[in-house]
Amino acid sequence: MTAPQQLLLARGVTHCYGGFRALSNVDLSLAQGELVSVVGPNGAGKTTLVHTLTGYLRPTHGSVEFLGRSIAGEDAVVLTARGLARSFQLVNVFPELTVQAALSVGAVSHLKIGNRLVSAIDRNQKVQEIVIQIAEAFGLVEVLEKTCNLLPHGKRKLLDVACAFTLHPRVILLDEPTAGVSSADKHSVMETLLAAAQRMGIGAILLIEHDMDLVRRYSSRIVAMRGGEKIADMPPDEFFSSDEVLGVVLGKQVQQS
Amino acid sequence: MEALTGILMASLFHAATLFLLTAGLQLTFGVMRVVNLACGTLFALGAYAGVSAVHWALSRGVPVELFPLVLLLAGIMVGLIGIPLERLLRTAYKRPEAFQLLLTFALVLILQDGLRLIWGADPQQTPNVATALGSVTVFGTVVASYTLIVIGLAIAIAVGLGGFLERTQAGKILRATAENREASAAMGVNVPRTYMLVFTIGTMLSTAGGALIVPTSAASLQMGVELVVEAFAVVVIGGLGSMKGAAFAAVLVCLIRSVALSTFPEMEILAIYIVVVAVLMARPSGLFGKRYA
Amino acid sequence: MKNPTMPAVEHALPATTRPPRKAWPVVLHVCALGLLLAGPYALDPFYVSLAIPFMAYAIVLLGFNLLFGYGGLLSFGAGLFVAIGAYCCAALTRLGGGVAFEGMLSVAILTAIAIAVPLAVVTCRFTGIFFGMLTLSFGMLFHSFLMKFYIITGGETGLLVAQPTLLGMKFAQMDRMQFLTGPFYFYCTVLLTVAYLAMRKIVDSPYGLHLMASRDNDVKATYLGVRVQRVRAVAFVIAAVYGSVGGAILGVNTGLADPELAYWTHSGHIVFMAVLGGYQEFVGPIVGALVFTLLQDQLQSWTQYWRLWMGVVLAVIVVAAPGGLAGTARKLFDRSSKS
Repeated sequence: MTAPQQLLLARGVTHCYGGFRALSNVDLSLAQGELVSVVGPNGAGKTTLVHTLTGYLRPTHGSVEFLGRSIAGEDAVVLTARGLARSFQLVNVFPELTVQAALSVGAVSHLKIGNRLVSAIDRNQKVQEIVIQIAEAFGLVEVLEKTCNLLPHGKRKLLDVACAFTLHPRVILLDEPTAGVSSADKHSVMETLLAAAQRMGIGAILLIEHDMDLVRRYSSRIVAMRGGEKIADMPPDEFFSSDEVLGVVLGKQVQQS
Repeated sequence: MEALTGILMASLFHAATLFLLTAGLQLTFGVMRVVNLACGTLFALGAYAGVSAVHWALSRGVPVELFPLVLLLAGIMVGLIGIPLERLLRTAYKRPEAFQLLLTFALVLILQDGLRLIWGADPQQTPNVATALGSVTVFGTVVASYTLIVIGLAIAIAVGLGGFLERTQAGKILRATAENREASAAMGVNVPRTYMLVFTIGTMLSTAGGALIVPTSAASLQMGVELVVEAFAVVVIGGLGSMKGAAFAAVLVCLIRSVALSTFPEMEILAIYIVVVAVLMARPSGLFGKRYA
Repeated sequence: MKNPTMPAVEHALPATTRPPRKAWPVVLHVCALGLLLAGPYALDPFYVSLAIPFMAYAIVLLGFNLLFGYGGLLSFGAGLFVAIGAYCCAALTRLGGGVAFEGMLSVAILTAIAIAVPLAVVTCRFTGIFFGMLTLSFGMLFHSFLMKFYIITGGETGLLVAQPTLLGMKFAQMDRMQFLTGPFYFYCTVLLTVAYLAMRKIVDSPYGLHLMASRDNDVKATYLGVRVQRVRAVAFVIAAVYGSVGGAILGVNTGLADPELAYWTHSGHIVFMAVLGGYQEFVGPIVGALVFTLLQDQLQSWTQYWRLWMGVVLAVIVVAAPGGLAGTARKLFDRSSKS
């Protein structure tokens, strides 16, 4: 049996903001079919890690490979075309656009028609198909005509992730997709995300999460970070049975309400 | 050597007044994130007020040697217009940046015509007072003492302002409010009053600059709209929000201007803009600015 | 992560929310066009002659608002391209012979593109204040060029623009006023219609969507595959082309290429028109051009201090009605349709 394909591979990634070391020698791998959760207290470097993995920041040292090719020197736009997408922790989406328009943005990029100056977008079959498909998967069909800034927080978070899905990515990095969502809804949000990922044929997911319940339930592997360093990388059973690791991670955890 | 010193002195004089104009702009921007398009018009207001003040003072028998003081006082007093202006601008703080800019443009329209209403369309000049304080010989060139006074004054203000902002408690509060409006308010800083104070001081700097320039240049309506361009070159080169930058860039811009005027006069503004574009390409936040652009 | 660029005006509906396709918008547009075409027959020649600058500015503003309303970039240098348009007409006049307006337009458009492309590369790296300051400066740079090199540019007095042929026709039997309020008027109406329809297509296109996305959240847009700088640069060039077409019309209308067209305060008036009409609506800027033209004319006949009153109007809009006339109309319309 061949080893599962490494879709995303980070080796020795280090990033310094001036004198401050946000990431120290982090190794991370993401294989086909995996959902890897990255946990750790605030300031552990999780978001910085996502920045370096998605081409927003260049690591000071180390390398990142996506689908076997280095991402060095490539910007976020190129990487989205290659199949890497992400969602955001602090969600603003597109305040003035309707949900339908917001979902169309990624669809347009995916269909590579962003430089068409004169064809009407809401009469473009292919774009609308993608929009409807994703809207259905995320339960956003009723709000398609609504403006993004009028959406409640929970729907906005879903929309943010849904937009990333319109790119039909191979790998998606989710930065706290359930932040600010009430505990009762967190599970349904995750179920929606995972079902959509299945439908869209997404290869692997990297998840940054604070909620340990979700992490335990959905991860194939858990990576724990603290102070910019990776301190653990193991399946959930091992992770949650290791008092030492739990103590180190949970001891400093800020439980998301 | 003489010609060079003459050019240098003239440049420094012009730079001194330009610094005052842009210091006002920087202060307002640094704290309130508003670029005041009316800064040039305020400068012109100071100039007109200075002219009128000198005429009035001389007719009242004030000794002519005191004219710099008259000008300075006139400039500062007319800068009090900043108080009602800030009140007006306050209504737009919640609006997007573009709107605040537009409101200052509305001020340009209103104030420019206001100047025309009060002083008429012709340029106004002080009687010949520039040499009233005598002259000094610097490196073999005769330079009016007034020129040196203004340069000295600008340096004093630059240092004073810089020191105030960096070293005093009040200055620190000002800078903190610039960085984070809400946090400062949460810590008890009276933000509206701070803005009022800062804006008025900024206005006074601009009007004082205008008042000080009138012995050598006439006060005119064009002054108001033309200087905006130079002021912008200075803030772009020096860096938005930086006092040091304003001082350095004001000198640089005036030197470039002088050199261009005496070699290729057609290249005057072009030369400045080549430097502007070069700075923007190499270091968008300006030579001394914090990352903003 | 900071999401810069222009946040919304409170409660104003975005330009992307279009009502489901009903008949009445089309009817309205046809009526407007009808009114425009009826102008020379129904109105006093003075108002007809005023309509030409209105149409010129309407075109300028359609382009301006692509950059501002749809792209989120406030340019204080729109006057640069208006001046370029006018001076291209003057340049062709200088070359002599019976100049065709089509020739003037072509030269104006090509020159605008040639200048806008490098400028876009420099300026579109920036947003907000910096973009405004840079565009202001480039406009003034051109103005200073026009003044300094007066041997070729005519300096302060500008350059003459001769009456061109329209579609090869000379109209020699008409006097100037008849030409302007007759054939030229209708020609401009056609230009405005074409410009309007083209811009409508552009904002409804995939490119238009990407432009709006870059305005609302440039970071997220980047992560959704939008080349933010590129879409902005394209908007800049399109705005430049529209500006120069408007400038060409103005040049022929006044018979003069005036350096003051490039002055930053003129660019400020253009921004004023956009905001007056409502920059968040497609037709807003056109409404703004119309109202501004009429208002300026009226004020000028009452007082020499008309700029002061214009300033007051602008201040009132910024403070009390930032959605402009069209924005406010839409708010009222929505409110009444809900009750």
